[in-house]
Formats: sequence, structure tokens, C-alpha cells
Amino acid sequence: MTGMDWTSAAGLLTGRVAIVTGASGGVGRGLARALALAGARVVVAARGPAGGQETVAQIQAEGGQGLFVATDVCDAEAVRRTVATTVQIFGGLDIVVHNAASTLARPTPLEEINDALWAEQAGVSLDALHHLAHAALPYLRGTGRGRFLVLSSAQGQHGGAMNPAYTALKAAQRGFVKALAREWGPHDIVVNALAPAALTDAAKAYLEADPERTREAMKSFPLGRMGDMRDDIGPAAVAMCSDLWRYVTGQTVNVDGGYYTAL
Amino acid sequence: MTGPVTPSSSLEGQLVLVIELGLPVMAGITEGLEDVGAEVVTLHDPRLADAQEEVEAALATVLGPDLAPVLVVLSLLGEATATLKPLDETDLVTWRRAASDPIRIAMRVLTALGRRMKPAGRGAILFLAPSLSLVGGPGMVALSTALEGQRGLMKSVARQWGASGVTLNWAAAAPRALSSHFDAAELAAKGDAVPIALGRRPDARAEIAGLAAWLASPAGGGVTGATLMIDGGEWMVP
Repeated sequence: MTGMDWTSAAGLLTGRVAIVTGASGGVGRGLARALALAGARVVVAARGPAGGQETVAQIQAEGGQGLFVATDVCDAEAVRRTVATTVQIFGGLDIVVHNAASTLARPTPLEEINDALWAEQAGVSLDALHHLAHAALPYLRGTGRGRFLVLSSAQGQHGGAMNPAYTALKAAQRGFVKALAREWGPHDIVVNALAPAALTDAAKAYLEADPERTREAMKSFPLGRMGDMRDDIGPAAVAMCSDLWRYVTGQTVNVDGGYYTAL
Repeated sequence: MTGPVTPSSSLEGQLVLVIELGLPVMAGITEGLEDVGAEVVTLHDPRLADAQEEVEAALATVLGPDLAPVLVVLSLLGEATATLKPLDETDLVTWRRAASDPIRIAMRVLTALGRRMKPAGRGAILFLAPSLSLVGGPGMVALSTALEGQRGLMKSVARQWGASGVTLNWAAAAPRALSSHFDAAELAAKGDAVPIALGRRPDARAEIAGLAAWLASPAGGGVTGATLMIDGGEWMVP
């Protein structure tokens, strides 16, 4: 695999302002860096200041503009403040990427899901969508540049066997996207979901622990690998947030190296 | 259609549970299941929306301590979910009640059903919902979120319980075949000259009940985790 040639994406998002939630690491960081490489000014919205500041540092080292704003996406007032700060500092808001996911989204059998576990996961996955949509709508509508992108998961489509709560919430987000795309279409806002197969640190550690398992697992990917968060998943997000995809809305796009061809 | 349709999958003497929380959609289906000989018990208990022990108690009122139905047809479409309203006019309390609570309710109901049906080693669970949740529409963000969440849950549990012999499926029916509630809604529709292949809505008593009965029959035992569009060929997806 060779690295992404970002000169091909340079300028696609110039002049755009984006908020990426959960961008203190992992997929969110990769997306934030990718949007910045394409020219967007990016607000890194996350709870953890250390990781968030590190993402901003990486964006700046790559020549982009980033700003960390401490944000608990489950807190409506915090989300409103983040949107207001974004508009105040960067002069507007064009793109919202909701990537944050609960740290409790681990495999849990149906019978063992309790109300506290559900509330935490539903808060990050669904309450946050409500908060973000409410706070961002006044800035996204009517410009033709408004993009609302939700990081979903193929598990929500094919049914993850080990994690009913996570699967249900990712499926719910897909429903959210389909209906909101129809509701916000008249505002000229594009609403989509992206389901990645990303080589996160956790996935990397899991695979590196067993090279044989890695070889077997990679046979399921037509491209033979999981996606780099910045250079494989990121460009798809850039395209979906740019004018190139302005006529694609209400869709869940699997960015997975061809892993799920049946969905 | 030239005449009445008679469901062909017999459930003679078999116990069927019909669960309905919120929007009434099951009347015709219940009659259709009785047409094929099922002993149908219905549950409309508001305790289904409460804590796990209340859900178990509600089930016990109609099934006793340990009876396991061979078929459960359920619709969990509460009033808040069925009320169509733009997202930016939906406050957080209403959002939770309409979008996320129905998924949690479905988890509790499935948990309670699993305790009865898995040990029996067989059974079919069929969620019934209007197809508009798959399509989406203005004012339907909470509805699509809730029902798509339930549908994802159905798939996950179908995988978990498959080895036990219990199947789970989803029937996405033409909304107006289920209820007049959506008559005034701005429903998305295929823009073709003939949007519905069969030119009519499905008949709930004969055709939706017939589908449910077939899923509970040995012939339907190999179908699980599926989304079955019973909309007369309107959407033809995927």
C-alpha cells in the first residue's frame, strides 16, 4: 500500500469549516486530519484535552488549521457552546461529522445489557445526534455546503452477533440519516453515513497478536487490508463532505476495502 | 387480486402471541392467525415499556409462568414514535421517548421472550412495522431511528439465538395496510408510473398473517434475520 497523494484532494474543502466529534484519537483523528488536508478548518470536539490537542498538533504539522474544543456530546449545552465557538472563531459551520462512540460499546449479550449501559451508549449515539442537529441546523441550511455525516458501522446493517446494543444503535443512526436526509433536503443539506473498516489501534493490536489470524482475516478484504484512518477512510469522508458528492444523500456508504459486498 | 386469499400455513391449536404497544396495527393480523387455527393471545400491556421485571410480569399474565409461543408477532410503535414532527421541533425528552426508548423496550421484550422460547428449542418472532421507516421522510427522523434500531437489534439477536432454533425476522408492510394513522403523512413513494407492482396494498388478515404463519411453519424455519417487504412490490429493495 502506498500513502494517499493528498495533492489530489487539495482545495476540495477550502473555505469550509468542520466539526469532528470524538476526534481525540482513532478514526475521528484520521477524519479530522483528512478534512484539514483537503483545506477545511477543523474543530476537534472531544472530551479528552490531551488527545484533542495532539490531533490539532498533527493537523498543524500537516499544514492545516485546527482547534480543540472540549466537548461532551451527550451534553446539549456543551454542544451548543462548541458550535457557537466554531462560528465565532472560524466564521461559520459547513460540516458536522459525528464520530464519537461510547467507550462502553463492548460485546455484551442481550440479557446482560442494563439500563445504565444502554443510557451511556444511547447518549453518545442518539442524544448527541439530536444535540448536534439542533445546534448546527441554523448554520448548515441554505448555503448548499451543509453536510451532516454520521460514522456508522456495517454491524448496523448485517447484524453484529456479539453486541446487540451497538448494532441496534448503529442501525438506528442509519435510520436517522435516511429520514433526516429527506427532512433537510429542502434546506440543501446533504446527510449521509459512513461505515468504515478502519485499522484502529485496537484492531492493529488484535491482528498483530496473531499473524496467522491476520492473514486469514485479510482474505476477506478484496483490497487485502483494513483501511488507514487518514489515508483510506479519510478521503471518502472528504469526498462526501465536498461538492463532489452534493447529489448523494440519505446513504450509508461502506468504506471497507470491499469487505461487505452484500449489504 | 380476484378473490379472498386463505393463508395456507396451518397453526392449528398452536399458541401464538401478538404484542402491540402503541399504534394499533394488529387487528386484521390477529384475525388472520385465528383463521389458520392458532390460539392467539394478545398483549397490549403498558408495562411492556417499563423495567425488565414488569415486562416479565406482563408476559406472565397471558402466558403463565413458562408457556412458550411458537410464534410472536410484535409491533412496538409507541405514540411518541408515531407522531410525525420535524427534528428541530423535537425536544430532548420527546426525542428519547420517540427514538431511543423503543429500542430499549424491544431489548427487554426480546429478553423476556428468549427466556421462554430458547429452552423450547423453536419459535418464530416477527416484528411488524410500516415500511416507511426504511425509506424515511420529513417528520420521521425519530420514527426511522427507532424502527431501524429495532430492526438492527432483530438481526443481532437472530444471530445470537439461531442455534437455539428461534428465528427473528422483520416484516416491512405498506403503512396504509397497517393503519390509517399515516394517511395524512407526506410519504415517500416510488416515482414510477406504476409505483406498486400489485396495484394494491397487502391484505393484513390474509397476507401479512399468512407470512407470519409461514415463518412459524417448518417451511419457514430457514429464514432468520431477514427483512421481508410486504408492500405489494412498491420498493423492491435491496
